[in-house]
Amino acid sequence: MRSLSFFAGCILGLAAPLTSVAASLSVTVKGTKGEPVPDAVVSLVPLDAPPTPPFVSPPVPGEIVQEKQEFASYVTVVQAGARVVFPNRDSVQHHVYSLSKAKKFELPLYNPGQAKSIVFDVSGSVTLGCNIHDWMVAYLVVVPTPYYAKTVAGGTATVSAPAGRYRLELQHPRLTAPIVSEIALGSEDIAREFSIALKPDRRIRRGPDGKAAGYR
Amino acid sequence: MLLLVGLVAIVQIVVFALVARANQRNAVAHIEENLQTGARLFRQALKERIDYLSGSAALMSGDYAIKPLLMREPDRPTLRSILLSYTERVKAPVIGLFAADGESLALTEESLAGSQVGPFRTLIEQAAASDREQASGYAYLGESLHILVVVPLYAPFPNVVAWFGLAYPIDTAFARAIKDLTLLEVTFTSDPEEKEPRVLSTTLDPAEAAIVARHRVVTPSPSGRSRVIELAHEPYVSLFDPLPLLNGKPARIALQRSLSAELAPARELERVVLGISIAALLIASLAAGWLARGVSQPLQTLAAHTEHIATGDYTRHLHLDRRDELGQLATAFNHMTTGLAERDRVRTLLGKVVSPEIATQLLKSDLALGGEEREVTILFCDLRNFTGLSEGLSPTALLELLNRYLDRMSAIVERHGGVIDKYIGDAIMALFGAPVPSVDSASQAVATAREMARALERLNRELIAEGSPTLAFGIGINTARVVAGNMGSKSRLNYTVIGDGVNLASRLQSLTRDPSYRTPIIFSEATLRAMPHPPPTRELGTVTVKGKLNAVKIYAIAEPPSAVPL
Repeated sequence: MRSLSFFAGCILGLAAPLTSVAASLSVTVKGTKGEPVPDAVVSLVPLDAPPTPPFVSPPVPGEIVQEKQEFASYVTVVQAGARVVFPNRDSVQHHVYSLSKAKKFELPLYNPGQAKSIVFDVSGSVTLGCNIHDWMVAYLVVVPTPYYAKTVAGGTATVSAPAGRYRLELQHPRLTAPIVSEIALGSEDIAREFSIALKPDRRIRRGPDGKAAGYR
Repeated sequence: MLLLVGLVAIVQIVVFALVARANQRNAVAHIEENLQTGARLFRQALKERIDYLSGSAALMSGDYAIKPLLMREPDRPTLRSILLSYTERVKAPVIGLFAADGESLALTEESLAGSQVGPFRTLIEQAAASDREQASGYAYLGESLHILVVVPLYAPFPNVVAWFGLAYPIDTAFARAIKDLTLLEVTFTSDPEEKEPRVLSTTLDPAEAAIVARHRVVTPSPSGRSRVIELAHEPYVSLFDPLPLLNGKPARIALQRSLSAELAPARELERVVLGISIAALLIASLAAGWLARGVSQPLQTLAAHTEHIATGDYTRHLHLDRRDELGQLATAFNHMTTGLAERDRVRTLLGKVVSPEIATQLLKSDLALGGEEREVTILFCDLRNFTGLSEGLSPTALLELLNRYLDRMSAIVERHGGVIDKYIGDAIMALFGAPVPSVDSASQAVATAREMARALERLNRELIAEGSPTLAFGIGINTARVVAGNMGSKSRLNYTVIGDGVNLASRLQSLTRDPSYRTPIIFSEATLRAMPHPPPTRELGTVTVKGKLNAVKIYAIAEPPSAVPL
């Protein structure tokens, strides 16, 4: 009898998360002119403490590839504590670094084919650059929650999380400060729309074969 | 001639003055243009320098070693050493590294720590707020003027993690570089409102620069923004521009160009013009002198000669030994003089042949035949027995005697306003009241007759003394309306009177031969009546005149005349 109840308890315990209510939040982010905004990060930070249910899985690892002398993705999101790999799949060496408060690090020149990885513990935005290629820039957004999503080209993203109260944070590299609001997820799906004002995009546009310079 | 010279002189002076003034204005305007260009070039030069500094800073911020160094805790000595290394690369003597919030991390000039960093902080604030994320300005670092630039350190772009501040001194070398570029004198001075404005850097002499520093710009000058100030007794056209500073009252830049240097070629031209003017003046004077001698003098001679002619002296002739127009004029003048002399002679001759009054009348009447009716008193005077007298004398002596007698008698006639009409041998026919009208022709005639009698007595006394025979005459006077005018043919005419009255006068004259009348002078009633104050008269009776119906009363003067030898 004891083994059966134990077994049932295990099954129940295992099924508990499966039986707890999860809803999804769809977010649409638009700019001031109504244009869709990609690369916006939406994260839901649980407000009920301790977080129920607790974060079960370890943080999903991230990957930021260097190829064609660019970072493959402009914005990458990971949960705090995740390990991020920086594989060099380029034909040249790269020297990845960041001077951001969330993580100051550098991966001194390493060759194509090599990959280095770092664990990011602290939440925040980490601006990545390449010490020898001024135009290479990428953002790694470290969030203290597994419930996050990044808007796609259409400006939409969907986050699934169990019911509860959350702090909804919307971030973007060109957004001056994160937009924070409170949200309560129930059993139904919710949709939210955001209209945000972004700073101008000042990324260096690489001219063909560096013909950008001249007497100005 | 003086007028001509004077005029030329005035014109030259005016032209010279105008040219000089135009040159001056031109030079000033030209320099002003240069100054404006110079100011523009100066700003451009500064802009280039700032751009250069910014470019250098950009390179520095991309420096491989910078970012790793910034990853760690600020190691100030190491950072400073790196900045010192950069000063050599960039040729900017002052470099500072500031954190994103403006806090100073490292400075090449330790002395600048503290308040002197203020200007950089101000610029960082400006840059952070601007689109370009860059800012520049002027400031004093220590005592000297510098141009400051702040440039962000991107890690990576567009992420600003720190700021570079660079400072470049505005020193004499810089001023000289500006001078090389603009060909203007450049002087940087401190705030002119200070008690003792300082010279910060200059291309001028220190003394001259001090004057520029102290110069107060009080009122705007009329011609744009430039003004002329004097340095070492030379005028300089100057442009003053303020330089706003990040710390302190605005400094000032003065761009100047020497007016004399600019005017030098114009002065050269003026000297040439002056030379030409003086030469022209001399030539004009010479020409005037030559003209005076060549033209004025002969003209004056001519004028003097004319005066002579006016007085009636036709004997002098003008001698101008010239072949030109003045010579021709002199020749013509001489011809004229001869002509005038000729005419004068003819006139005199006419006056001698006929009495001057008749001559005038003849000339006036245009020598047309015809006459006019007038009341005239006619006097006939005839010598008694002249033919008998002539037998005793030679023809020459006779003529001489006759002329002597006629001369005296004619003078008396003329003195009384009468006119000798003609001499008929030894007889005189005189007119009173023609051609010149007279109100009292009768009285005149009678008075004439009396005086003639007295004159004859005198003449006779002379003749007796000379042993020559004496003379005797008879006078007949009549007043009547006659026709007076030119009688004769077209080619030969005579001014005289005709009428019955004339014949009567002649008849009365022949009556004087009659001794019973005992008078040499007989006049008619008409004459008596025509006299307003007649003398005492003696009626002689009447005579019948041939052809006349009435008898005419005749009279003689009452006083006993001198004995008339019969």
